[in-house]
Amino acid sequence: MMGKLSIIMFSGTMDKFIPLGVLSSAASALGDEVNIFVTGFALLGFMKEKKPLPFPDEFKDMAPALEEGMKRTNTKSWYDMLKEAKESGNVKIYVCSLMASIFNLSKNDLDPIVDDIVGATTFLTQAENGMVLFI
Amino acid sequence: MGKRIVVDARGSSCPGPIVELSKAYRNAAVGDVIELWATDPGVKADTQAWAEKTKNKIESIKEDQDKIIIVIDIENR
Repeated sequence: MMGKLSIIMFSGTMDKFIPLGVLSSAASALGDEVNIFVTGFALLGFMKEKKPLPFPDEFKDMAPALEEGMKRTNTKSWYDMLKEAKESGNVKIYVCSLMASIFNLSKNDLDPIVDDIVGATTFLTQAENGMVLFI
Repeated sequence: MGKRIVVDARGSSCPGPIVELSKAYRNAAVGDVIELWATDPGVKADTQAWAEKTKNKIESIKEDQDKIIIVIDIENR
């Protein structure tokens, strides 16, 4: 049975983007539909103009070890995992229309990986009867 | 008699091997056999979960010195 995973991506720090990539990619490999709703400062990861995502202060010391370990284990970046999952599966990325309005952003300001700008109602309707994660 | 497809996902970490497996599965047919080679320690449980969900059969799981080898009979496409 095909499943459905919906992720509310809220956090804007690098450590939280890794599970976004891993879970989307694993769900997509299982044949599940994946909907990602980007809101809050997670928006920073989906801008066309890229800036490195920050690490939370309490884990800053561990960031180099994390990065080194990811390299050693051939772990792809969260962005590449998402991109690959989108290319091979049914993965959609939506940016929250409220956040887009607050920061005065149009689809043109966002990374091409983003499918659309939608409101909370659309996301909740899409997420209905599936698994929902808040990251 | 179907094809035997070897998926070499050694050195790839979670969820890499399952992503590689699902890619091969997309091009496979019922009757084919996929042989997945991996080093990620989560791959045994993950492949069993994948097989259960996609309704395919794990034929065997073996470990040799440098890899885990999982043989999957493709029974459902």
